[in-house]
Amino acid sequence: MSWSARLGGAALFVAAVAATAALVHFAVVLLVPVVAAHDAYARLAELGPPGTTAALPRAGPGEKRFPWNDPALAASVCRFDLSAGPARVTAPVGRAGFASLSFHTRHGAVFYALTDRAATHGRMEAVIVTPAQLRTLVAHDDEDNPSQDLRIVSPTVEGFVIMRAFSELPSLYAAAADEVQAMACATEPPTP
Amino acid sequence: MLAKALAAGAIGLALGVAASGSILADPPFGAVTIGPWRVAAKAGSLEADPYTRAALARSGEIPLALGEGLKMVARVDSAGRPLDRRCLYRVGAHTPASRYWTLSLTDAEGYPVDNAASRYGFRSSEILRDGDGGFSVYVSALAHSGNWLPIGHVQTFALALRLYDTPLAASAGGIEKSSVPTIEREGCA
Repeated sequence: MSWSARLGGAALFVAAVAATAALVHFAVVLLVPVVAAHDAYARLAELGPPGTTAALPRAGPGEKRFPWNDPALAASVCRFDLSAGPARVTAPVGRAGFASLSFHTRHGAVFYALTDRAATHGRMEAVIVTPAQLRTLVAHDDEDNPSQDLRIVSPTVEGFVIMRAFSELPSLYAAAADEVQAMACATEPPTP
Repeated sequence: MLAKALAAGAIGLALGVAASGSILADPPFGAVTIGPWRVAAKAGSLEADPYTRAALARSGEIPLALGEGLKMVARVDSAGRPLDRRCLYRVGAHTPASRYWTLSLTDAEGYPVDNAASRYGFRSSEILRDGDGGFSVYVSALAHSGNWLPIGHVQTFALALRLYDTPLAASAGGIEKSSVPTIEREGCA
């Protein structure tokens, strides 16, 4: 084999390696969210069943499940499953300090959020629906007496709601933890 | 020939998997750099790029929504040098506008680090301020007067600044470098 043919073969080999590596890399990036067995949803599932409020562990040196959690905030989670109907989330707020609700898809992305600034009558409240459930609800709305509900369409049937409450001082963390524990989420009764 | 093709495939597979692992540890897109801080404002949104989404699925992080606030992470000081546990850093003196903010120290993966003082961060509502409303947080392994944030038992660490209820959320790219805290290295052991 001539010198140049050997060089050409080596170049072909390197190109094949690079092309394979690039393909594998793109496949991995696209597949990770689909196959990740230990994503946020799976970790949250260990805390409690859907439709119930569970406290998130407080960020601290012994806690290795939820990275980048702020130790100054208390948080709770409720997983929802809209296959049985819309889910109503109610969170009373009445403390000094910031509080918020964030609505996440099955894959963790946020599709809606609201803070205590949007609270009415001392609570943050919303109804999570699928596009089909929203159509049903709108069809049943009373035109003279419109629903006051904040309806949020979820891109996925399953997902989760996180409530966060900021503690202004370390000694006020327990009050923030009580507040997030008071979040309620329940499947709505079917529309008559 | 076949042996060579198989070898190329195997090496490519290994390289692709290895590269994906290291790239997803710090996704390349969707974040802006403001001074020493990195901000991935859209990381938790439906519009996040595939790299950011994959990184999120792997880490298990529950992202902050834009409407709740912004998280900024620094792994370098204001001169661009990696944060070093043998050094003393002064972080200050102001933050962009927000209702509350916190500054905390974590390991490279975002978990608080065990330390004798059990101090993992400071809140805007508890921090000691100087006469004109500015603040200084001293980050070091050895105890320091004032607002001391201990580095604790860890080799590599990061600083996380969170701004809650901030009007900046909608335009993270527009945050002025002069408005974020600086991380000055004061000296090293």
